[in-house]
Amino acid sequence: MPFFTKITLVVALMLVQVQALAKTLTFGEEVDSDKLIKISTVMANPDSYLSSPITIEGTIVGVCEKRGCWMTLASDKRFQNLRIKVEDGHMVFPMTAKGNKALATGKLEKIELSLDQTKRLLAHRAQKAGKDFNPDSVTEPNVVYQLSPTGVEIIDNNVEK
Amino acid sequence: MLKSKPIQINWFRLNRSLHRDVGYFCIGFILIYAISGIAVNHKNDWNPNYAVHTTKINARDIDWNINNDQALIKQVLTLANTQLDVKASYWQSQNQFKVFLHDDANISLNLNTNTLTVEQIRPRPIFQALNRLHLNETHQSWIIVSDIFAALLLFLAMSSLFMIRGKYGAFGKRGLFILAGFVIPAGFIFL
Repeated sequence: MPFFTKITLVVALMLVQVQALAKTLTFGEEVDSDKLIKISTVMANPDSYLSSPITIEGTIVGVCEKRGCWMTLASDKRFQNLRIKVEDGHMVFPMTAKGNKALATGKLEKIELSLDQTKRLLAHRAQKAGKDFNPDSVTEPNVVYQLSPTGVEIIDNNVEK
Repeated sequence: MLKSKPIQINWFRLNRSLHRDVGYFCIGFILIYAISGIAVNHKNDWNPNYAVHTTKINARDIDWNINNDQALIKQVLTLANTQLDVKASYWQSQNQFKVFLHDDANISLNLNTNTLTVEQIRPRPIFQALNRLHLNETHQSWIIVSDIFAALLLFLAMSSLFMIRGKYGAFGKRGLFILAGFVIPAGFIFL
């Protein structure tokens, strides 16, 4: 086999391998699939999952546009999702990951918002949904839950026609 | 016995040579930090990592198949006039349905406003790479490299004081430029 053909084959093989590797993106430590639990199960009783690490999985339906510091994973239950959030720069999630599946291992955090923060959050959600919002209708502060991950895996989805 | 002559070091010339060579070495680093610095400074005005192109499509006269996701996806793809393969779909709320496509495109259907928003994401590879370096989002070893660069910048700043002697030197009238370099940032801190 001529030398040039050999080189071409080796390069082609390497490119195929690189493409295969690009199918899964990993961040931080390894994901612990033994701790996998459905998002809907976690959200049904979140306070009971605050003490030890859990692993969740879901379709990525939102990514932080500025620093890639958070992703929102869709729950197995309709209209539900859970955000995973890292310190800026600790992991950088690509915007192009939207629609792919992700697994994340980490600790669930409970954030108690003030009334003002709750109003701002709900106003932002209403604006994105194209709905009207009356801040005076909010009288109680909200609690939000998010996962602080130690390891994340983003898997390229199969094509669905 | 012959006495060896003590080596005379010309500190002025050595300083100039070092300043020149360290300066040459730092050109690449300075370009990286300056370009990405401007990009990151204006991250509220534009996305330095991705070019996101958004198109809104009005869909007033369509009777959406909201009880059949596959049929709804077909309607959405037809209206968006795209042949791209579907990665996933998601009901964000009772009135918001999202379809994620390959080739970094996404479509959001808002049933409140009857509009489709088609989003096309394109990475900005050069800016993305420079920003990752600037914000230390890469390997831990980059922290060491960037610390060395910071030390070299300190050397460039201090050695510049001794580059030129005489009336054009840092200790004459031109010392006002040095003073301005302290006064401007101090003004932003204290005023």
